[in-house]
Amino acid sequence: MATTSKNMNVFYRQKKNGTTSTGKKSTKSPSPKHAATFGSEITQPPALVSHGGSLDLKDDFDEQEQVLRQFDMNMAYGPCMGITRLDRWERAQRTGLNPPKEIESLLKGGKVKLESLFDGRV
Amino acid sequence: MEVDSQEQLQRKQSTYLSLDENFEIQKEVYRGQQYSQIYFARLHMMRTLLYSLVPNWKSHLPVCTVLELKEGKECIIFGTLYKHMKLKPCILDEYSKERSVAPLIKPHNFMHQDDYLVLEDESGRVKLGGTKLSTSVYVTGVVVALHGKETSAGAFFVEDVLEAGLPPQIKRPLKSREDKYVVFVSGLSIGRSSSNPLQFQLLVDHITGHLGDEEEQGLAAEIVHLVIVGNSVEISRGLLNGQNLASKDQSRLCEPFKELDILLTQIAASLPLDIMPGSSDPANFALPQQPLNRCLFPGSTTYNTFRSCTNPHCFELDSIRFLGTSGQNIDDLTKYSEAKDKLDFLERTLRWRHLAPTAPNTLGCYPFTDRDPFLIDSCPDVYFVGNQEKYETCLLKGLEGQLVRLICIPRFCETGVAVVLNMRNLECHALTFGTQISS
Repeated sequence: MATTSKNMNVFYRQKKNGTTSTGKKSTKSPSPKHAATFGSEITQPPALVSHGGSLDLKDDFDEQEQVLRQFDMNMAYGPCMGITRLDRWERAQRTGLNPPKEIESLLKGGKVKLESLFDGRV
Repeated sequence: MEVDSQEQLQRKQSTYLSLDENFEIQKEVYRGQQYSQIYFARLHMMRTLLYSLVPNWKSHLPVCTVLELKEGKECIIFGTLYKHMKLKPCILDEYSKERSVAPLIKPHNFMHQDDYLVLEDESGRVKLGGTKLSTSVYVTGVVVALHGKETSAGAFFVEDVLEAGLPPQIKRPLKSREDKYVVFVSGLSIGRSSSNPLQFQLLVDHITGHLGDEEEQGLAAEIVHLVIVGNSVEISRGLLNGQNLASKDQSRLCEPFKELDILLTQIAASLPLDIMPGSSDPANFALPQQPLNRCLFPGSTTYNTFRSCTNPHCFELDSIRFLGTSGQNIDDLTKYSEAKDKLDFLERTLRWRHLAPTAPNTLGCYPFTDRDPFLIDSCPDVYFVGNQEKYETCLLKGLEGQLVRLICIPRFCETGVAVVLNMRNLECHALTFGTQISS
């Protein structure tokens, strides 16, 4: 897979805290700089295209997912791999680390991923 | 001599409470987790504990994490120790092109003078310098607090160490007890060609009161419990080479268990008995070993006095707390550190408040996610380890008045020695069985 570092920016859009960006949709055509991959499907293999036909680009942008990712990355609650987010929250609660309550309500609310970002990928 | 005496001897009783729930893994679900979770649980629990002990130790110093260390700033850091050992067997050695210093014959002890200690917490790790922290005493997996400062070379110069120390002990009510004895035996190794069945039969006969006159039987009636501490059977290596067994070999495989079951039935009919798995028993390899399956003992399990227990095993008899293992934890410490005797290793594990600090690094362990079951919260009254070379015992006194009887139980197959403990005063003596018929 010849994804260059330039292409990775499309995949993992960096989001600064406090900006009110509306979230640019990535339907821009590749600039001449990306000519090497022009027309190829390396950044969006057909397998990732979801059933509705739209490209699966929105997973980075969800606000709730961002909050949960911050919870995953927080070192105080231990490693995030190999344990579901809810189990990790409950472990933190039981051992007196006082994790924020809204994470629990988010996780029990249902529309979010129960596993951390790295689960199954590392 | 009268065959039937007027009064029948009654065996003494004691109340039993099993505390093995922490070591059972039936409820655990494996989700592909790695060992980082159990290390985090260990670090978090021990750090909280050590943090509460720091004000009594050095209250004036600031506490910081490894990444926050500044050169020359004196502070206290908490973390898990890692010992880098040159001779420790590493799977990558098999793939290295050149054969390095490691000899082909494995040594019994992997220490080397170039070993060094590293302290690690969630933020990072730092190499430890100075002579206060002895590399021959500490092993990977111990959580400590260190006082010192960072040197210009980037290492942390250790000025003082704080270990957790002996855990608090629940005070036993000092009512005047009568003499009640607990017998410990380990390493029966039934199935080994050199094991002598007569020796164990003698032990069984003595405990059940089939030997000796009334006085002997009176002594035997004061034995209230028997603990078999691991390695009860030994299956011959030839049967375990991975090939299909012929039917005559299959019956050879079961013979040690049949023999053991016959003897255990005799014991179970007479007094309560606990059997723990060991490294040579058919139980899981990783600690905590789960109880031996009851179908291995068809005769003994009909008695409710027969209990198959986990390794490590924790229980209370008449509110005296017993804690012990079949030896894998101490044997692993022997490979990776040094002490003048095995009792020293036992004492260290109590001071570190952890039964098996080298798990999961060099000792197989289940990857728990929410707890570390080997942490010792409450100081036992009797702390034992099985399958050792010889019988050793001592009484350990703690700073807060804790009193622990440490016992090393020798392998019965090789020594013929069982250990008897008096619950009234925690005194211990050896019971030796010999089958040499002198001319």
